[in-house]
Amino acid sequence: MPTETQEKTTFVGFWQELLDDWMSTLTSPDLETYVRLKEKATSLKTVINIGLLGLVIGFFVLTVQPPSFVQTESLFLDLGRLIFYTEADFFILSLILFVVATLLGGTGGFIEHSYLLSLVTAPLGLVIVAFLFLTHKLGLTLAAILNPLGSIGITTIFIVLFVLYGFLLLLFAIEAAHEMESHQVIYTIGAVLGSWGLLRVFAMFAAGEDNIITQESAFLAEEWARGTLQQALLGHLWMVAFSVLIAVVIGVVIGVLITMPPKRPQVSHLFFLIPLGVFFLMWAAPKGWLGMGIADPIMEVSNTLKIILTRSAKGVFGPLLSLLSAIVRKPAAVGMIGVILTVIIYALLIAGESASELTLYIAGIILTIPSIALFGVFIGPFSIGAFNAVVALTLYAQLPILRNTYTGIKEVEPEIVEAGRGMGMTEFQLLRDVKIPIATPVIMAGVRVSVVMLVGIAAIASYIGNDTLGDYIFHGIQRVQPLRYYAGAITVAVFALLMDYLLGLLQNRLTPEGLKGRR
Amino acid sequence: MIKLEHVTKIYPGTTSPAVDDLSFTVPSGEICTIVGPSGCGKTTTMKMVNRLIEPTDGEIYVLNDRGELQNVLEMDPIMLRRNIGYVIQQIGLFPHRTILQNIGTVPKLLEWDNTQIRSRAEELLDMMNMPHEFLDRYPHELSGGQRQRIGVARAMAADPPVMLMDEPFGAIDPINRNLLQNEFLRLQQEIKKTILFVTHDIDEAIKMGDKIAILSGHGTLEQYDSPAKILSDPANEFIEDFVGADRTLKQLNLIRVEEVMDKKPFLLQSTQSADEALKILDEHNRDYGYVVDSDKRLQGYVNRRDLKGKSGWIDEYVTKAATSLPITMNLRDALSEMLMVDYSTICVVDNRDRVRGTISTAMIQEALTESLKKEEV
Repeated sequence: MPTETQEKTTFVGFWQELLDDWMSTLTSPDLETYVRLKEKATSLKTVINIGLLGLVIGFFVLTVQPPSFVQTESLFLDLGRLIFYTEADFFILSLILFVVATLLGGTGGFIEHSYLLSLVTAPLGLVIVAFLFLTHKLGLTLAAILNPLGSIGITTIFIVLFVLYGFLLLLFAIEAAHEMESHQVIYTIGAVLGSWGLLRVFAMFAAGEDNIITQESAFLAEEWARGTLQQALLGHLWMVAFSVLIAVVIGVVIGVLITMPPKRPQVSHLFFLIPLGVFFLMWAAPKGWLGMGIADPIMEVSNTLKIILTRSAKGVFGPLLSLLSAIVRKPAAVGMIGVILTVIIYALLIAGESASELTLYIAGIILTIPSIALFGVFIGPFSIGAFNAVVALTLYAQLPILRNTYTGIKEVEPEIVEAGRGMGMTEFQLLRDVKIPIATPVIMAGVRVSVVMLVGIAAIASYIGNDTLGDYIFHGIQRVQPLRYYAGAITVAVFALLMDYLLGLLQNRLTPEGLKGRR
Repeated sequence: MIKLEHVTKIYPGTTSPAVDDLSFTVPSGEICTIVGPSGCGKTTTMKMVNRLIEPTDGEIYVLNDRGELQNVLEMDPIMLRRNIGYVIQQIGLFPHRTILQNIGTVPKLLEWDNTQIRSRAEELLDMMNMPHEFLDRYPHELSGGQRQRIGVARAMAADPPVMLMDEPFGAIDPINRNLLQNEFLRLQQEIKKTILFVTHDIDEAIKMGDKIAILSGHGTLEQYDSPAKILSDPANEFIEDFVGADRTLKQLNLIRVEEVMDKKPFLLQSTQSADEALKILDEHNRDYGYVVDSDKRLQGYVNRRDLKGKSGWIDEYVTKAATSLPITMNLRDALSEMLMVDYSTICVVDNRDRVRGTISTAMIQEALTESLKKEEV
């Protein structure tokens, strides 16, 4: 009996087991299957798996493109050579993945690792070869198959699904082979693909290839050398930064006000008349409603400031100073906005929480207005230029901040607030020392959303005559220069990602130590 | 001292009062527990003292640390609250602040300087038997019981004469709750605060209170008295029901082991010989005896049959006693402990583990009979 089993495993059993392994990878492609198969890994089985793939590839290329692959008189020698190449390619790739996986904390052995990879590669490779063979026999070109609009373009979907399926199998195989966390597996594959991509791009430049990537980078380099790219970047940065800073103040103030209980008007509220009066003067006087006597000095101050700011608008802070000069030359508009804001803030101070629903509702509606329409609407009161852009951007930016401030503060556990109040904190101390610090992570998340959103919208502000990265996009479209609008799109995207990352760091810094690692 | 005079609270939009014409006085240095079914207005009553809720009618007075009786309704509520310790069930520690900052909340509001705050916080941790390292930790790094102790420490930080505690041990598991209650009672012996302690648990009210105020629905005071009086002489049917059918048994809560134990117990010394010990056992007509060392520390017990015909010191034949009772334990806990280990007589030890006496189930029964007799008189 023992000898019989022995014989079975060495001869028929071996092939049967191999077939079983193939079938289980294909029929139940999940982590458990791979973990189970890992136990049965041997080098011989790996070599045979890939050898089979090599054999089929060999037949395929020798049939399809004999001139470039037939090198000797003997068909067997050619086949053998192709099988060897397939094996070599597989093991080199497998080794690279193995090294990266091990560096990232993988624990599996190379034999198991290779065997599981071969169980992904061989069956899927066979399907691909079969597919290519079929299309060749039908006389179809790859372009015809892949064109999603073509009559047989539906295959694109199958190919995409197939590639995703293969990728998934690869994830499982590596995860099982090395007992890794899923994210480590992604890093492993990402590192390999990423370095391949980098090498490929590097090779492109080294060989002086002429394609979209080299052309685009040449264009960007040229723009950088001329200084126009930096200018657009700085313009963009300051536009976003300035608007967000104002938005944080307004958004947090409004967000806080609508969490407070309603108040009765008090004598001390007459204080609000001061900003109201100042803003009203700024608004009414330049219009001449109060007589020219008051208008002139205001306009004079505004002009002097404008001239000083415009003159000194150079260097890194140049775009910021230009923004400020665009603001000081419109005292009436500033006054009008000031009056409106003062009234809104006072109204919310009185209404408090009872206005929260309405406020958030209106804020939500404003967010749905397309940015380009909002810029258009503001051309009426503010004409075109930086002022218009800043007002629109600020309006957009404070919505996520307002909403997150409100939710952040509302989410502070009531018992924490009660404890604070019961120990004799004033409402202001409660807000400053308890509610706002605890809500900081949530508020900062809102700021992050705002900034990323504004980076995108600021590009559109270029439409109403403002120097941002959007210039590249609009000019590129007007002049039909793809390199130009790609440049705009790429820089805006990279800029947004970078800002998000930096704000993530800031968010982490601002989050109180005790709130990290809670729960 | 806390004094309530005809205090009534009617919430806006309701007609029936939440607290109805409540009058009682908590003497200085005593704990008054307020207990009653849910919705009886016990928390409302407590919150009116530090004006988190404003009474509709009536007066509330608090004795401040200068010995003056002040009408709280005439004080600035912010300053009032800073001078009253406040502990709530969910603790409400500030998660973004360290333990030091949490304990220092009120002192900071009162503008103490930082070194003063730190030394006060250390002093409080000592009182709570917690290490000083805790000062730089955050609340989420502490266990529930530790957080509750910090909550109490925070309330005591500025050494207020009066404290309000709203079910402070309600969210703690039963074992830790018992521990915290005992610790707090021990602490109260030292700090002697005037405390208003809200609970829904009559057992806790009996255990913690020097006085108990029992409220029924709509905030009517049904009885205000010492626990013993409430158990032995319930004012009406409501109290009788609320206290429960086992109120006789509950009286055991009020008697300490120390009061009923045999203070001159019969003990064997570990330095005695087996012969000697056997003789003593015969004299007292016992089958076994507890053995102590020269410091009166409990070693265990010996059985008569183990000693028969043996020579040498008796400590060779000692079996370790499974348990002993602390002298401060109440009879109810003692009885349940004794039933659990199935001993009829058990040693009572002080905090240095020295045997101070023995207690038997018979003694407990006798004590209970006596207290019932007193009730009838």
